[in-house]
Amino acid sequence: MTDSPDPFTVLGLPLRPDLSDERVRAAWRQVAIATHPDRPDGGDPARYAAASAAYAVLRTGWGRSEAYADLAAPLTGRVVSPVAVAARPLGLGSWRALALVPARIWHGRPGRLVLRIAAGLVLALLATRTGAGAPATAGLVTGIGVWLVLTVRADLAPPPGR
Amino acid sequence: MWWYLRARLLLWLLRVTGRALRWAVLIAVLAAAAPVTVVAAVGFAGAWLRGWPPARLRRAACWSLPMTGVYLAGRALQVRTWQALALAPVHDWRHSWHLAAAGRVLTAFVLCAPTAVPAGLFAAAGLWAWRIYAIDNGLAGKTATAPVVFDARQWRRSSRAARGRVAAPGAFPLADRRGRVVMGATIRAVGHRWRPVSAMPYRAMSRHQVIIGSSGCGKTNLMMRTWAGWYVAALAAHYQTGAPRPLLIVLDCKGGPDARTKAARTRTLLHTAGARRVAIWPDEATVSLWGLPPADLAVTLFQLIETEAVGAAAYYADVTQAVITLAVTAPPGPPRDGAGFLDRLEPGWLEAAYAGDASRLGAVAAARRSLGDVSLRYRTLLSRLGPGLDGPGTLTDADAWYFILEGTREQSVAEAQATALTELVAHAATSREGEPRAILLACDDYSAVSGRVPLWQLYERGRSLGVGVQVSAQSWQGLGRDDDERRRICATADGGIWLMRTPYPQPISELAGTRRVIETATKVLGGVWGDEGSSRIQHAWTADPGIARRLATGQAGYIHAGGCTWVQIARPRPSPLSLSPPPPEPVLIPPARQQPAAVPSAPPDDLHDVFGNGARP
Repeated sequence: MTDSPDPFTVLGLPLRPDLSDERVRAAWRQVAIATHPDRPDGGDPARYAAASAAYAVLRTGWGRSEAYADLAAPLTGRVVSPVAVAARPLGLGSWRALALVPARIWHGRPGRLVLRIAAGLVLALLATRTGAGAPATAGLVTGIGVWLVLTVRADLAPPPGR
Repeated sequence: MWWYLRARLLLWLLRVTGRALRWAVLIAVLAAAAPVTVVAAVGFAGAWLRGWPPARLRRAACWSLPMTGVYLAGRALQVRTWQALALAPVHDWRHSWHLAAAGRVLTAFVLCAPTAVPAGLFAAAGLWAWRIYAIDNGLAGKTATAPVVFDARQWRRSSRAARGRVAAPGAFPLADRRGRVVMGATIRAVGHRWRPVSAMPYRAMSRHQVIIGSSGCGKTNLMMRTWAGWYVAALAAHYQTGAPRPLLIVLDCKGGPDARTKAARTRTLLHTAGARRVAIWPDEATVSLWGLPPADLAVTLFQLIETEAVGAAAYYADVTQAVITLAVTAPPGPPRDGAGFLDRLEPGWLEAAYAGDASRLGAVAAARRSLGDVSLRYRTLLSRLGPGLDGPGTLTDADAWYFILEGTREQSVAEAQATALTELVAHAATSREGEPRAILLACDDYSAVSGRVPLWQLYERGRSLGVGVQVSAQSWQGLGRDDDERRRICATADGGIWLMRTPYPQPISELAGTRRVIETATKVLGGVWGDEGSSRIQHAWTADPGIARRLATGQAGYIHAGGCTWVQIARPRPSPLSLSPPPPEPVLIPPARQQPAAVPSAPPDDLHDVFGNGARP
């Protein structure tokens, strides 16, 4: 597997284990139509053969699972100490978590999220315009912020793997 | 006489005045603390309308304390003395009255809000707790039926609120940061601490769990959530502490087209939970029964066929067992597949294998007459079992297995398969070869195939092997053949019992136990409820069977440690985000990986396969 090209790339598919049979078949048909040796222009036999091999691997869910596992965790034979295993950080790295926020918003409930944030901003703006003094206003804005932090998570799609 | 009347009048006046004064003082206090009163009233009304418990208001009050902290910090910068800081809220409160009198009500509220909001929410929590207590114990409510009406109404509202919470996309991940399996939104907690999100430690699933719920009650969703949640939490523990890597084994004992759909859904979910190789048996992958140690293999092969232990059948059973033992433990080693095993059930093969061993040759000669029958029986059995158990492949080659047993269509075959698979799980749990794995064996409708391996035996074996066993049944009766067996299964479910909608929940409720409550009887006077009665301590169900019968789809009660938490189960959803590859696992020794064999499928080699018959490029 490691010497042959990545079957997902060969068929122009994203590296995901949860692709449907229909999607893989459609991708294979697309490549096969364009490269089949029986075409008047002779096609592209090498690419057709590669696509055939890739489709043979990816046509079943188990095959996709296998191919995905092979690509995600290439067996390099690298020796890692047990200490390194224990020190492995749990969950998402903070940078990756930040990078995922836009996708989490998009796949979550963006409308509600916007409404929630807008409500929080309006309330905070009202509080600052009342002239109640800095401490009370800061306190109230903090309260609104805490409420937002506690509630917006429900409107975000979960990150992968949780 | 006159003095008596005057005294009575005076007493009445005193009582009325006292009552009026009490009300006046109360109204004055409420008016003086108007911001707190407003917040408390809003909190109380919110809890009543949404069916919240007092704990929810207390949590809200605690979460609003940071605003008080920031406010006090700001005031500390202004006043610089402790005494002035302590009196700052009082000054602001006094100032807010001037502002309110000048028509600046909003400004007045903002000025008081940092202290009024937490105080109001705490007050609302206290008042709401008292209201529930008073209604439950007959101290409040206009009619004697008030506790019943109140309870039913609050359950409806709690359920509605919980349904709303689980509908949110991101509120219920599969596992939380503390390694607990998140199940859904809490509707009501009896004897357990109330938390808005119901979760259980994933180690609870390393013990035994029972799930009971009739068809269509959301059992599949609950089970899938527990599997994926367990997998996420166990994998996190593996990465964090070096705990054994998880291995999930699901036996779907009903089979049929639905099982394929469930298997595909489970695979998608497990992929997002971090599992890489998810095998579906027998459609896509196979395992080898023949990799078992010879002695275990001989016992398992014997158990695969139905035998009786009385009369002539007992003699035949003994002969069969002897023949299998001779064939499997022969000097050339155990057979590698079914065909190899059947080849050995020939007198010539056995005699050649045991040449020089007089006692074994004697046994072969004695069994010679029955060898044909035994061979025929196993030939039939192995052909019915199909190639799924003929390998190659082992359980530990994948991260998760979904075994589909056709228990509804071919019960005897499915029973034999379940027996063999159970043995393979036991072998995987005890094998010292390869890395140790944390195994969860989940049996969906195992009762459909438990004729040969009763559930309690599965439990006992799982307990001794350190394998977590999760068993689901559609009813109490489906758990075993008699009440003794059912009670034994449920009483040993130390990981908890999930009770879903079922028409006969009493036995489970009995196991969950009772709690002490105050029961108040009210007197009927002249056809109306009077204001006299009596109270006494009574026992009420911890897991109310009435509630269990009325549960809506997706609702379940988690019975554990003398308490019951009613939960709205959140549907397990694979993350819609595109997955980046999970972190590569460290490899301590370069492994020679042995993959489970996929069911052979010929690659497409002509256009008919690609485009269908008659298609042209």
